[in-house]
Amino acid sequence: MSEGEGAKTGLQDPRAEREALEALIARAGMGDRDAFAALYDATSAKLLAVCLRVLERRQAAEDAMQDAYVKIWRNADRYRVTGHSPMTWLITIARNTAIDRLRARRDHDDMDGAGDRDLRLATSGPTPEQSALAASEARRVRDCLDELRDDRRAAVVGAYLEGRTYKDLAGEAGVPLNTMRTWLRRGLIALKACVQR
Amino acid sequence: MTDPDDIPEAERDEALAAEHALRLLDGAEAEAAARRAATEPAFAARVAAWEARLAPLAGDLAPVEPDAATRRALLRRLFPEAARPSRWGGTLTALLGAAGGALAAAVLVLALLPDAAVPPGGGLHTAEIVAAEGDFRAVAVVDADRAEIVLTRLEGAAPPGRILQVWAHGPDEPARSVGLWPEGESVRLPLPVEIAAVRGTLTLGVSEEPPGGSPTGSPSGRVFGTVDLAGFGRAL
Repeated sequence: MSEGEGAKTGLQDPRAEREALEALIARAGMGDRDAFAALYDATSAKLLAVCLRVLERRQAAEDAMQDAYVKIWRNADRYRVTGHSPMTWLITIARNTAIDRLRARRDHDDMDGAGDRDLRLATSGPTPEQSALAASEARRVRDCLDELRDDRRAAVVGAYLEGRTYKDLAGEAGVPLNTMRTWLRRGLIALKACVQR
Repeated sequence: MTDPDDIPEAERDEALAAEHALRLLDGAEAEAAARRAATEPAFAARVAAWEARLAPLAGDLAPVEPDAATRRALLRRLFPEAARPSRWGGTLTALLGAAGGALAAAVLVLALLPDAAVPPGGGLHTAEIVAAEGDFRAVAVVDADRAEIVLTRLEGAAPPGRILQVWAHGPDEPARSVGLWPEGESVRLPLPVEIAAVRGTLTLGVSEEPPGGSPTGSPSGRVFGTVDLAGFGRAL
C-alpha cells in the first residue's frame, strides 16, 4: 500500500505519515488507548470504505469495521513481524474481516447471496475515484491490472474488493469453475510479474 | 475444486499463496493453505507479499466517515471499565433476593454484558418480550450507554428453517432491524445509531424471518411480541 492513502494524520509527506501510523500502532501494542483512538481517527474512514465495498450494507460494514479494530488492538504488538506497511496491515485485516462476515452471511442465506451478486455486478469495474489517486504504488498495481485481459482484471478486482468466490466469478463470466481458476491464477501471476518489473 | 493442470509447477505455490491471500479457497484446500501459512515461513512470506501487492486495490476507494456511535461502541467494547464507576454494591444482592422468573433471567443476561457493574437505571433497561399465545418468551437488556442489546430466549424458537430477527423503533417511527438472531439462546447486538438516538419510548420486538432476515426491511414473518421501554435515552 502506498502508505497514507486515505489516512488522516494531517501529514502530507507519505513517509512521515507512515512513520506516524507506525508509532501509533507501536504505542497501541503497548496498551496505549489514546494512541489506539488516534489510529482509529486517522484510518477508520478508509477501513469503513473497504468493509462497505465488500458488504455493501452500511450497518454490516460498520460492524465488520468495529470487529477489525478489535483485532487491530489485540494484534498491534505483532504488527512489526508482518513486515507490512501500516495501511497494508490495516486494510488486510479490515478486508479479511469483512470477507469472513460476507461468507458467513452467504452460508446461511443463498437467496440473499444471489441478490448481493446482482448488486455487485453493477459496482464492478473501474471507479470514478481511480483518476484521483496519486500514490505511485497504487498506480503501478492499477497500471499492471490494466495490462491484463478484461475478464481477468474483473476477476482479480471482484475477488479482492467484493469477496467473490471462484463459483461467483465463474457464474458471472459463464465459464466452468476450473476455467475461471486458471484465468485468475494466470492473471495473478502476470500481475506479480508486472508489478516487479 | 480441483487444481487446474495448466499452471506451471513452479508457479503453483505462488498462485496458491495468492488464492489464500484473496480467501478464494474453501474446504480442505483452504485449511491446507492456512496450515502452510502458519507453519512454512516461505509460504507465509508469499502470502504477505500478495497482501501487500493487492492492498493498493483498496486505494481507489473513497473514504467513508463512520458513525460516531461506532467509535463509542468500539471503545466501550475494548475498554469497558474506563467510562463507568462501580456502584452495584448491595444492590445486586437485593435484586437477586427479590428476583424471580424473568427478573432472574434478566440479571443473568446482565452478567453477559462486559462489566455489568452498572447501577440500575444508568442507561440500562430490561424488558420481557412475551407472545400472547404463550409460545415465545425472551428477556432483553438494553444498554443505552454502550448502544447494545442482549437478548435471551426463555421459551420458544424460530420455526425450522427460519431465524429470529430483532427490531426496534422510537415513538411514531417504523420498525428498524437491530440485527439477526440466527441461533443460540442469547444474542448480543449493537444498536443501530438511529435506535441508540431514540429519546422517550423505545419499542422492541422479535419476529421470525427467512435466513438472512426479512427481505422487505420490515418484519415479514410472525412478530412474537413487542415491549415498550419508557424513558429510554434519559439519564435517571
